Amino acid sequence: MASIRRTLALALRIVRQFARDRRTMALLFLAPLLVMTILNFVLNNSGASVTLAIVPPPGAQGATFASDIQRALDGANGVTTTVISADQVDSTLKSGDADAALVFPDDFFTILATGGQPHIALKLEGSNPPAANQAKQLAAFALAKASASFAPTLPGQTGGGASAAPAVTLDTTYLYGGPQYTQTDALAPMFIGLFSFFFVFLLASVAFLRERGQGTLERLMVSPLSQTELTLGYVLGFTLFATIQSVVILAFVIFVLQVHYAGALWLLFLVTLLLTIGGVNMGIFASAFARNELQVIQFIPLLIVPQVLLGGLFFAVRSLPVVLYQLAYVMPLTWANFALQDVMLKGLGFNDIWPDLVFLVGFAALMVIAAAVSLRQERI
Amino acid sequence: MARNASPSPERSHDPPPASLSSVAESPVAVRHLVKTFGRRAHATRALDDVTFDVTSGETFGLIGPNGSGKTTLIRILLGIARPTGGDVRVLGRLMPDRRVAMSIGYMSQASALYGDLSVAENLAFFGSLYGLRGVTLRRRITETLALVDLTERRASPVNALSGGMRQRVSLGAAVIHEPHLLFLDEPTVGIDPELRVEFWDYFARLNAKGVTILVSTHHLDEARRCHRLALLRFGKLLALDTPEALLRASGQADFDSAFLYFARRQEVAEPDAPGGAATTIGAMG
Repeated sequence: MASIRRTLALALRIVRQFARDRRTMALLFLAPLLVMTILNFVLNNSGASVTLAIVPPPGAQGATFASDIQRALDGANGVTTTVISADQVDSTLKSGDADAALVFPDDFFTILATGGQPHIALKLEGSNPPAANQAKQLAAFALAKASASFAPTLPGQTGGGASAAPAVTLDTTYLYGGPQYTQTDALAPMFIGLFSFFFVFLLASVAFLRERGQGTLERLMVSPLSQTELTLGYVLGFTLFATIQSVVILAFVIFVLQVHYAGALWLLFLVTLLLTIGGVNMGIFASAFARNELQVIQFIPLLIVPQVLLGGLFFAVRSLPVVLYQLAYVMPLTWANFALQDVMLKGLGFNDIWPDLVFLVGFAALMVIAAAVSLRQERI
Repeated sequence: MARNASPSPERSHDPPPASLSSVAESPVAVRHLVKTFGRRAHATRALDDVTFDVTSGETFGLIGPNGSGKTTLIRILLGIARPTGGDVRVLGRLMPDRRVAMSIGYMSQASALYGDLSVAENLAFFGSLYGLRGVTLRRRITETLALVDLTERRASPVNALSGGMRQRVSLGAAVIHEPHLLFLDEPTVGIDPELRVEFWDYFARLNAKGVTILVSTHHLDEARRCHRLALLRFGKLLALDTPEALLRASGQADFDSAFLYFARRQEVAEPDAPGGAATTIGAMG
């Protein structure tokens, strides 16, 4: 029978200890923001170096058209445009002189004049997904501007969005994610999962290691505090920090980085809670195998980095080689990422993400058992 | 006990304090306790057929060099280690049994406190583990702070305290819930003589209130302040009696020499016993 008071006393003690440790508090709340700011900058402002090559239709009309597009893009932040001929496309992309080429067909104006739908090809360099994305958006924007200015004859149109322009088809072989989302949008949910799991794991294992080292664990074991109360107290104390951390990250992501967000907040916190329970107990378990803080740090490349690499943060899980793909599917962060992305990006609800939650509950339960077993061995 | 060839283990069940309670009611009763570590072939015997009783209200001293089994014995009494053989009863219950946790207090040689929390917060935390709360908890914190003479440092983080002060907080944390039975594992290691005397004065006051204390030490000069002493060496009980009786039986003037005397007797009785008396004493600080 677990005593709530003892559990709360332990949770309160953990909260007090960490609240007093300013550097850890900074790590917990500011480090995620710093990392995300840097990534946001790197991922979304890599457009500063985006170069779009244009292959205009032949003739003087084509040249005018090309310069129209160039003028339209000149306002964009750090975008370079260049006009090349059709046979230069491959070599320009290969040499890295351009990230993408917008190729207009020779009979572009003829088709347009007869009311047809010209097919415009966008050839993306592709080795740099963020740049490719940027180039794609750039091309669409350029087409919308240029086409609109090119067809003033349509009634009620003085230029505007792509929908108002004459029908033009842009053929892109490279289709990646929703065009309205930036890279940060796609990553923000995963960061919430990653940070709450990572920091909770790290701090819980160090806290528990200290508990062993300074002899207080022995004192706890001699006291009436039961193992259940010990685990619950730890989970409760850390859940508070993980929740505050999620709130801080979420607020930062939505209000400062202006990431798109659609979905139920409580589901997000439910996922965070499950990750926290798993993380705290994994920390308790792992601390049994570490003699000092340095050895706890050594768990990071072993337990955290693979999850970061394979969990969908850098590579789509489905695109992984079979072995890694299977590995990714036994990692809690992968499932947390699925759930968080579904909630935050697609606005899906409990009915859609419950399989992810089931896995996370299973993971948390497994870690609770592992921690309990390691504690039981300690006692006797 | 007979196997140990001790000169006087059974003779003295007449400790000075309080009235003698029957053996069955002893707060601590240890019978043929054996504890081995490791697998059969390479097993080391940390405790070898140890039998004794602690009488209610006395201070019972466990004396022995490092590695003699004192800490292992205390861990078994606390229920955080399991005996390999024999049986151990604490407050009438066969150990390990978590139900005695509420009535026992424990202080180890490491101060075992949370350094980033204040003195009062540490006491509050340990107090609440024992179900103290509200007015009672606050009262006990105030009393305990006065007892260990740290009222003025109640708000200081433990990290900012000197070693001696930390030891005092640690003692406070062990007694905040007013246990009937106190286990102290080398409580005076690394503290200055003045504080050591204060600690022992305090133990005597606790005894007067009926608290039973089992204390291990390798400061032989502290031995005199125990009501009864158990001399432990290589996991075996060499002798068990009042300090005076032990000195008398050994014919020595001080406990260092008395310990040596009993160690030699053990070697004569068991020539193949490990170690030598001289090296043993060297480890006794």
